[in-house]
Amino acid sequence: MSLKILAIDDSRTIREMLRMCLARAGFDVHTAEDGIAGLDCLPEVEPDVVITDINMPRLDGFGVISAIRADAERTALPILVLTTESAQDLKQRARESGATGWIVKPFDDVKLIAAIRRIAAT
Amino acid sequence: MTDLTASTADPSLVNRLVVQGQYEATGNPSVVLSTLLGSCVATCISDPLAGVGGMNHFLLAGGDGSGTDNERYGSYAMEVLINALLKLGARKSRLQAKLFGGATMAGRMGRIGEANCRFATAYLETEKIPLVASSLGGQRARRVRYVPVTGQAQLLFVADTFPTISPADRGASAQGEVDLF
Repeated sequence: MSLKILAIDDSRTIREMLRMCLARAGFDVHTAEDGIAGLDCLPEVEPDVVITDINMPRLDGFGVISAIRADAERTALPILVLTTESAQDLKQRARESGATGWIVKPFDDVKLIAAIRRIAAT
Repeated sequence: MTDLTASTADPSLVNRLVVQGQYEATGNPSVVLSTLLGSCVATCISDPLAGVGGMNHFLLAGGDGSGTDNERYGSYAMEVLINALLKLGARKSRLQAKLFGGATMAGRMGRIGEANCRFATAYLETEKIPLVASSLGGQRARRVRYVPVTGQAQLLFVADTFPTISPADRGASAQGEVDLF
């Protein structure tokens, strides 16, 4: 069965890029336009991996990570941050909030897919 | 477009050059952003209500500018500018854009200018950011000055001149880096 990916990003351009790239790799891709929308669709999608942007309206990526980790049923759900940010303090904050990994845009297809497969398998 | 000749001659204004691969966002009313464009495109975006704005300057290098790598780089160039503006207090729903550049320079870069124009206009349309003014295509280089806090721009065609300002290194940052914790 295909791995289910929930990609949360406020840029429609990025959502479509992720959808195309990940669907081509055989993943079942769902998208949401901000943190609130992402959390809203979690129970319906039940993803194997969440990919989230950091800078988003309504609820940012840190809020998404914290909300997911506060849910006892999702403490082990892998969360990859995909962002234009590369500052170490932000990366450290994401790590401490419970993110599984951090990828800096513009992303590389092969590296992103490899990272998803790796964290989904652990 | 508003003529900025008088205001940019004001010695109290600070001129900041945005070269290929760079972006700049600010809410400082003393700053004027400027650039010189051949095939490259500069996107100037402002939120006049918040009094913030900025400019990027990008070139989708490689082939005819199409392909996922180029689109990804272009999206990155747009997103870093938009994120910087949002951090300064802009709202995405209030953003207004102006596009400049994308010329077909004789004997240089093939039709890459057209590809840059296509990408930039399509990106703004997809992200629902209104394009309020543009000067794209043609065969001449352009000099652009932009007041970010007001969104006013000044355009000057520069005949028979190709920009020679060195681009910022596109690969020098952490782009594409994967860090699994």
